[in-house]
Amino acid sequence: MQSPVSLDNAPPLAASLRFFLTAPLFLVLAGLLLLVSGSEIFASRWAPVTLALVHLLTIGFMLQVMIGALIQVLPVIIGVHLRRPLPLARFVHGALNAGALALAAGFLTASSALLRLAAILLALGVGGFLLAAGPAIFAQASTSPTIRGLKLSLPGLAGVAGLGVTLALGLARGWALPYPRLADLHAGWGFAAWAGVLLAAMAYVVVPMFQLTPGYPARLSWWLPPLLLTLVLLWSLGVALDWPLPVRLAQGALAVSGLAFAGLTLRLQSQRRRARVDATSRYWQAGLLAALGALSLFAVATAWPAAAEYPAWTPLFAILLLAGAFIPLIAGMLYKIVPFLTWMHLQQRMQPGLPLPNMNRLLPDQAMQRQMRVYLAALTLLVGAAWWPQWLARPAGIMLAVAGGWLWWNLLGAAWRYRQQATLMAAHKETGATGASGG
Amino acid sequence: MSHPKARHVVDARYMEPPEPFVRTMEMLDALQPGEKMLLLLFREPHPLYRVLRQNGHAYESELLPDGTFEILISR
Repeated sequence: MQSPVSLDNAPPLAASLRFFLTAPLFLVLAGLLLLVSGSEIFASRWAPVTLALVHLLTIGFMLQVMIGALIQVLPVIIGVHLRRPLPLARFVHGALNAGALALAAGFLTASSALLRLAAILLALGVGGFLLAAGPAIFAQASTSPTIRGLKLSLPGLAGVAGLGVTLALGLARGWALPYPRLADLHAGWGFAAWAGVLLAAMAYVVVPMFQLTPGYPARLSWWLPPLLLTLVLLWSLGVALDWPLPVRLAQGALAVSGLAFAGLTLRLQSQRRRARVDATSRYWQAGLLAALGALSLFAVATAWPAAAEYPAWTPLFAILLLAGAFIPLIAGMLYKIVPFLTWMHLQQRMQPGLPLPNMNRLLPDQAMQRQMRVYLAALTLLVGAAWWPQWLARPAGIMLAVAGGWLWWNLLGAAWRYRQQATLMAAHKETGATGASGG
Repeated sequence: MSHPKARHVVDARYMEPPEPFVRTMEMLDALQPGEKMLLLLFREPHPLYRVLRQNGHAYESELLPDGTFEILISR
């Protein structure tokens, strides 16, 4: 029987694995930065060390995994085949990694040369991906909410990167820009128009597929991505016209939309037909609960801005949104994608007489669950550090570094077992071929 | 299992990959020329579409309000 995903049209494993194997190292770097800086990071969202930490997580971890996963899953999720995925992956991977490191170093050392370098590298990385993948994705007919969502996430990526590059160049060159408002808008484009839209579009497929839940209602699936993008455009219009009302309206509506999506996904998860609760389901549960917390804080502050003046509000919101929601949702996804990809590539090389290893042996669930518990401990310490940074910031940093290192170790283990098995299969094939020609 | 659109149905909505693909290919093999089958899924199966196109099968899909894709495939 033909295989559902044949290797002649699947991108090579090396294209996406390089992203997945470097992304966790940015969690380690972020943890070490927190360990070294301690409570300083919680003093102000504009402190250089805070900006460095946030971008190690958002670019180094989040963006890297999102782009790596997209390069890999486009054929399966929306039927789009990139023409040369491996050279594209090499280029984008190099630019994003160097760009994230240069940006963090630029913030920490206040070096305008490093900030300029980071802006160029990140523009090249994101621009390269958009130029290579954008036309192929837009050429596909929007026959499903996932395809439409993926298309609409690309302007989100262009928006967050465009604003980020402008801000970095502005800092480097001393331009007079309304930095706080533009930085808020940059975050809105990043978390809502790019990451939020992409997450929703992917969730429509992967939540029912991997967790055996009911599907997302069609009407909501069609309308959520354009709604999020429109609200971020309304927010941008408010900033451009220096008119606060549309900004607050858009922020409130974004919070409510996000709450509805997270609440619905939790409800679907509660109706799943898979009895075993694996690491991915737990990571997603944690991520969705944290998203409800973060978005509730956001909604309250939109309706009643004085709430945000409470000292722990801003760090708590950022921690819940970034470390509580997005990172666990992405880590949970990685724990499905990596074993599935390695298994699928092995299946293609299968030889008679050699058994195909079970997917669970490539990346055992127990190893994932243990790593997840350490990550959740790091998250708990981070949340506590919003109130008591002087006591908990450093322990949270250590725990985050350990959790990131363990994630890296688990994924590396899967890649290593894949390589070992593939070598065995190649040797077996050679022996078989020699035996056949000899006999 | 039967359905107004087709007598032969694979309801793969709560199956893990690659089972929906395997079941569909098995049912297609068992169909007589001219017969149709219906696949129910909570996603569009693009890798299956590709194989169907390669093998000369026609298909059309419809998204229902509950998120089910009904994919009608001709032998």
